[in-house]
Amino acid sequence: MRFVRWRKVLRDLVSHRFRTVLVVLSIATGIFAVGVVMGGRAILLREFNAEFTASVPLNADFFTMPFGDQIVRRARAYPGVAEAMGRHTATLRYRWPGSDAPRSLLVVAIKDFHDVTVQRIVPEDVRSWPPRRDEVVLERAALQVGAYKIGDTLVVETRTGEKKTLTVSGFAHDINAVPAQFIGAETGYVSFETLPDISEAESYNELLVAMKGTDLTQREASLLAEDIKRDVLGNNGIAVLGVYVPKPGSHFLGDIFKAVSLLLLALGLLSLLLSGFLVVNTVSALIAQQVRQIGIMKAIGGRASQVTWMYLGLVGIYGTLAVVIGVPSAAWAGKRFIQYAAGVLNFRVSSYVPPDWVTALEVGVGLVVPLLAAIVPIRLGTRTSVVRALTDTGVDSTSFGHGIVDRALGLLRGLPRPVALSLRNTFLRKGRLLLTLTTLSLASAVVMSVFSVQASINQTTDDLDAWWRYDAQIRYPQPTAQAATERVVASTPGVTGVESWIGALATLDRPDGTTMEGIGLLGVPYNTTFIAPTVLAGRWLQAGDTDAIVVNTDARQAEATLDVGQRVTLEIGGEARVVRVVGLIKGQLSGPALYMDRAALAPLLPQAGITQTLVKMASSDSAAQRSVLDVAENRLEESGYRVASTRTQAELRDQIASELGILVAFLVIMAVLLAAVGVIGLTGTMTINVIESTREIGVMRAIGARHGSIYRIFITEGLVVGLMSWAIGTAAAYPMSYGLTALLSGAIGLPLSYRFSWTGVSSWLGIIAVISVMASALPAFRASQVSVRDAIAYE
Amino acid sequence: MSEIIAPGSPEGTLLQLREVVKVYDSGDVPFTALKGIDLDVHTGEFVGIIGKSGSGKTTLINMITGIDHPTSGQIIIDGTPVHRLGENDLARWRGRTIGVVFQFFQLLPTLTVLENIVLPMDFCHMWAPKERVERAMNLLEQVELADQANKLPAALSGGQQQRAAIARALANDPPILAADEPTGNLDSKTADAVFSLFERLVEHHKTIIMVTHDNDMANRVRRALHVSDGEIVEERVHRPRVGA
Ligand SMILES: Nc1ncnc2c1ncn2[C@@H]1O[C@H](COP(=O)(O)OP(=O)(O)O)[C@@H](O)[C@H]1O
Ligand SMILES: [Mg+2]
Repeated sequence: MRFVRWRKVLRDLVSHRFRTVLVVLSIATGIFAVGVVMGGRAILLREFNAEFTASVPLNADFFTMPFGDQIVRRARAYPGVAEAMGRHTATLRYRWPGSDAPRSLLVVAIKDFHDVTVQRIVPEDVRSWPPRRDEVVLERAALQVGAYKIGDTLVVETRTGEKKTLTVSGFAHDINAVPAQFIGAETGYVSFETLPDISEAESYNELLVAMKGTDLTQREASLLAEDIKRDVLGNNGIAVLGVYVPKPGSHFLGDIFKAVSLLLLALGLLSLLLSGFLVVNTVSALIAQQVRQIGIMKAIGGRASQVTWMYLGLVGIYGTLAVVIGVPSAAWAGKRFIQYAAGVLNFRVSSYVPPDWVTALEVGVGLVVPLLAAIVPIRLGTRTSVVRALTDTGVDSTSFGHGIVDRALGLLRGLPRPVALSLRNTFLRKGRLLLTLTTLSLASAVVMSVFSVQASINQTTDDLDAWWRYDAQIRYPQPTAQAATERVVASTPGVTGVESWIGALATLDRPDGTTMEGIGLLGVPYNTTFIAPTVLAGRWLQAGDTDAIVVNTDARQAEATLDVGQRVTLEIGGEARVVRVVGLIKGQLSGPALYMDRAALAPLLPQAGITQTLVKMASSDSAAQRSVLDVAENRLEESGYRVASTRTQAELRDQIASELGILVAFLVIMAVLLAAVGVIGLTGTMTINVIESTREIGVMRAIGARHGSIYRIFITEGLVVGLMSWAIGTAAAYPMSYGLTALLSGAIGLPLSYRFSWTGVSSWLGIIAVISVMASALPAFRASQVSVRDAIAYE
Repeated sequence: MSEIIAPGSPEGTLLQLREVVKVYDSGDVPFTALKGIDLDVHTGEFVGIIGKSGSGKTTLINMITGIDHPTSGQIIIDGTPVHRLGENDLARWRGRTIGVVFQFFQLLPTLTVLENIVLPMDFCHMWAPKERVERAMNLLEQVELADQANKLPAALSGGQQQRAAIARALANDPPILAADEPTGNLDSKTADAVFSLFERLVEHHKTIIMVTHDNDMANRVRRALHVSDGEIVEERVHRPRVGA
């Protein structure tokens, strides 16, 4: 009894249970959104970077002719090199009981598994480590593609065409391995003693080098790689087939990571803003409701400061409850989110504990924002003169714009009474309406933008389809006879057309003496009907083009000298040739590529033959195409032609879509969270409106209004707000989705086509209509249950 | 106008209003609700303010309680120049000096009757915290509501709520009680009971200023002021009734 005023605060909390739950839920939603998104992002980056750094990523990767430990020791001792190691890699086709079609296995053979100094591998679930002879430990991303189990047998086809069995003896994690779902090939680790069994030489053919220096630039890395290539490999008689120098410190999924992280940051800031709105809205409505009581307290001797503290206390309790609910649930959901992300992006998480600043931010959203939000309305409430407070009706009749609204509504005289009344109610609570509308409009815009980004991704893959006029592709491990392979493939039932291409790697010699290694160069018949390139500048290839190349946008972006009209020097087949860039075509999401007429390229290469067969098929069904392709592969093998890989364009399309799908999944999470914030906001607003109208409802009931009419008034009100936010959101979604698509495009380095999703707009219209009705039905139901006596006696 | 009134009350005057003018300018045209009121009230007086609806009764009593500020003029109560106090000082001063009774009772809905009565003591730090409940119970006994102490206001009848509100007005033992149509919402029998309560309080040396538009009531008070169009147009003084 000592502090009766605090007792009032507690009593208010308990006796207005519904309101308390709503306010706490609103604040908790804000904490949740910020916690999941900001915490998720922070943990994702922290764990990923920690594991990536600990793995000792490489700075240069040399693919070479066989070499031994001597070379590795030299590389290790080379100035500027931190670590070096050799390994043997080979891509083999294999069959596995879990899949009908042959698959590809990237075999990584390591001499000493206890001395992996670059690109460390972590055994996770292994029966034996290192793998014993004829055992293979799969990189765990394989589990994302198929239900591999320890003890499964993989029948691999060796270089010499023999079939050998490897037994799966466990799963390991290698953050630097490209996850199976992205390249359609599993990575497997074997011991050196297994190599002879699968017809591979017991020597290294890949040199991994990690360089010294924490802020190494790509140029420095390239220059050092050049030196190593010359001094360590070339001068010791080891021919280098290709060198890969990644941007130092960047993971191959780094771009996707950057995009995801950007999206999360954007979402985090948005949800911070929205939850701020939500809290301001709820708290000011709460105070507005209490103006009369504030007046009474002041009339019986309460000082403004005492009353202010009471309400700050109330808000503080709401905030504390919200923190108690919001922080753990954000931690829980954040963990699920990270687990999902760690699965698709294939990294290990050692701790789900968010950094302190995230927890501080959550507490800030839960306590500081509500208290700050409350100060202004509380000050206004306690400053209101007692007379005004005592005559307060909940609707501020002197506020700006009142007259305009009434006049505007006057124009709508034809409306039925209940509708006119709800419109009036809707507009009169302008401030709150504005905040709710902003929140819900933003949420709507984001949801519809997500639909559009999804549509843009579909558009992009549709564009791919338009470019691909063929259905499947067969690649050979080495140059292969054109006429014979074409004959075998073309005679396979279901095949309607074939064309052969030559793929080679070229090196670009820059004027400044540096080089760019391993650019894909494709020999394509100039008059091909198997692709329909989109020419952006210059022209496509034509008959008699002996020294002309066409570049795609990815190549142009990677290398500025590859501009239309330029002459550049390319090392093709070991010899330097000057070629002209005659055209620029749109890239196909598969990296930089140069195109040359097949007839012009063939004579430049040391070995005759083609490297890939493109296939057109009768069926457009993906499964049917796959089985035709498997038959073709078997027939090629029977005829003695080894196949490196096969894929239908539908599979490639799915692969690209699934890569982009990760982004869409994150976007969907983002949209759902924001929509939840919006919905809770709307429910809150409707509840407050209903509470404020309790007396009005009583009067209407007293003069004969039935439950149904009262229901209709509030539901109309909720619907009006919902539809308005849909309209505003649609207008905002156009630029927002365009920007988002451009952002993604830039972040992942893929040119995405843009498409606005009208399906999204109409679907969201349906969804928001249902949501608005539900958000207002609950409070309206409560309102209609109030007895006339209680309603009129309210407060 | 700068007629200076010395602090204190030379002839036992508890309350002095001098040339009090109130202009409302929230409407389209400024409206003068009080047109220069002069009034002296002595300790122990029971003053009734009567007049038609809209004549300015509520405005006048709000000037006295400090609930609203005069546009010009002076209000000195028990030596305090009320018109000069800021909101905070006013709240504290009012809490100890004037008990306010409203037409619509205005009890806080989430506090029990007893707690409603303790609240002003809490706000004004009156009495030792332990004594507050005891004192509140005493007040409730005076208004014959001791058995309703732990109920919520909504569970009480109108007359009971108004008596509780009067007990609350007396919580800090203020010398003055100001009531705006305290019986306006009550049936005549209940109104009579409330009125009798006021009479008893006057006997215990409280000064009461009560607005009413009930002529019967007005005839029973010792001093009745008739307000019309923002001016005191008539004053009647009755002999105090004998007995009770
Ligand atoms: N806040 C206000 N703004 C403008 N006019 C007001 C306000 N309050 C009262 N009035 C006007 O002042 C006059 C006196 O009001 P009031 O003191 O409430 O009368 P009473 O209590 O005698 O019925 C009335 O004409 C009323 O319309
Ligand atoms: Mg009045």
